[in-house]
Amino acid sequence: MQWIPEYRDDVPRVERFNLLARSTHWIHTVTFLLCLFTGLALFLRADWLAVIFGGFRGAGLVHRIAAVVMTVTILTAMVIGVKGVIAWLKDLLRFGMNDIGFLLKFPAEFLGLKVKIPPQTRFNGGEKMNSMVTPTMVFLLMISGWIIWWPSIWWPGLVRASYWIHDIAMILATIMVSMHAYLGSFHPGSGESFWGMWKGTVRADWAQHHHTIWYDETYGEKAQAEAE
Amino acid sequence: MARQMTNLFDSSKCTACRGCFSACKNSNQMPALFDRSYFGGPGNGTYDSKDGDTDAETLTMIRFNETEDPVDGVRWNFLKWQCMHCVDPICLKVCPKGAYTKLDWGCTFHDEEKCIGCQYCTYACPFGIPKYRKRTDTVTKCTLCYERVAEGLQPACAQTCAPGAIKFGYRDELLEEARERVKYLRVNGFPRATIYGETELGTGTNKLYILTDTPDKFGLPVKPQIEGNTIFWQNWVQPYFGWLIPIALGASALSFVTSRVIANKNKEYEGHAEGGHE
Repeated sequence: MQWIPEYRDDVPRVERFNLLARSTHWIHTVTFLLCLFTGLALFLRADWLAVIFGGFRGAGLVHRIAAVVMTVTILTAMVIGVKGVIAWLKDLLRFGMNDIGFLLKFPAEFLGLKVKIPPQTRFNGGEKMNSMVTPTMVFLLMISGWIIWWPSIWWPGLVRASYWIHDIAMILATIMVSMHAYLGSFHPGSGESFWGMWKGTVRADWAQHHHTIWYDETYGEKAQAEAE
Repeated sequence: MARQMTNLFDSSKCTACRGCFSACKNSNQMPALFDRSYFGGPGNGTYDSKDGDTDAETLTMIRFNETEDPVDGVRWNFLKWQCMHCVDPICLKVCPKGAYTKLDWGCTFHDEEKCIGCQYCTYACPFGIPKYRKRTDTVTKCTLCYERVAEGLQPACAQTCAPGAIKFGYRDELLEEARERVKYLRVNGFPRATIYGETELGTGTNKLYILTDTPDKFGLPVKPQIEGNTIFWQNWVQPYFGWLIPIALGASALSFVTSRVIANKNKEYEGHAEGGHE
């Protein structure tokens, strides 16, 4: 059984994510998971989970440190990589029939059936959904989290609302992350996507097949001619 | 359930000597802090504690409320302010560490050893009683002197009260006494005298009050209630919403298996050599 496809540098490859996007993604991954498991200790009232972090106080400390690193990383990366953020948002707004087609046919592909999916832009319909839901939830988590950290300076009603907003945003973000982590690695249909985020490049033939519109616009003959 | 025991505070007898305040600090070994919230704000230099509140080092205090009425003239309404030891306490429900327990004689007991200072209780409490203490990273509140009661003694505040405004005993007996006292007060110059704590919050609070006027004249919430935000969070989000996560994980696990089974079958039929990741 193959977990993820082999990384091959003997075939033509194209860049998918630059160094800033990749480092932000992985720092966010680590801090999100630290926050998730330390937070779940309190949410599930799970002593066995808290013990891993040295009890509930230790878990609370790890939760806060990870939250600071996460907030600083995301905000810094958004400032430095503002061009990339805009390009990403623009791609999200290109939500068209091809994305609806993707979302309708994807459940079959998800289970492993072969289906014909319409050509996709840089982010396919499912990635667009993830790109909209997860960051929104992470921003809600950050805002409500910082309110909960210093409750006495806020209006008490806002603190009470932050408690359930933090919980719901955590649940929705975790749902997206559990799907995203699987689809970005072990799902056979996703193939090269893991290498796109790990090494930064994907196989050109894979890009052309999975993200036809993006490939043609960025690396296609017309784009090459314009670049020259 | 053992017979409920509690304090009855009679506002018509209180002289605001603040002996209970001192006795409480003494018994619980808490420092006197003269610029704190029980004097109505940090360092205002007066003894007016109308808007004052308990804090992490002050488990009980006497609140002064001055009221003016065309018939009754100016009156000082004194109120002993502390944890109400609700019969059905919300602090106990929201606490993620189970630091709160309801003792069988009626005390809502907070175990500081278990507390991690998350302050969920502070914001859930309809009276805003549990207060965060930075030096221990825990919250504190009135203990109803459970350790003294266990030894057959009265709480420090009741023991020390010189005018006999605080009385400790069985709740049903105290409630009978309060009814008699309110009847007496109503025909002797306090027509709006009332009992507070018998039915508040639906099931009532363990602490009982005899008020010489309506609760709002004492700065007490007339209709104390648990906030909607807290109810939604505790009754809906916490118990049910979390189950969505295992569904997502289960779907991924299902896909992991089915997609590989289907890929293997296709390989058998079509004889694909290359791993078919497209």
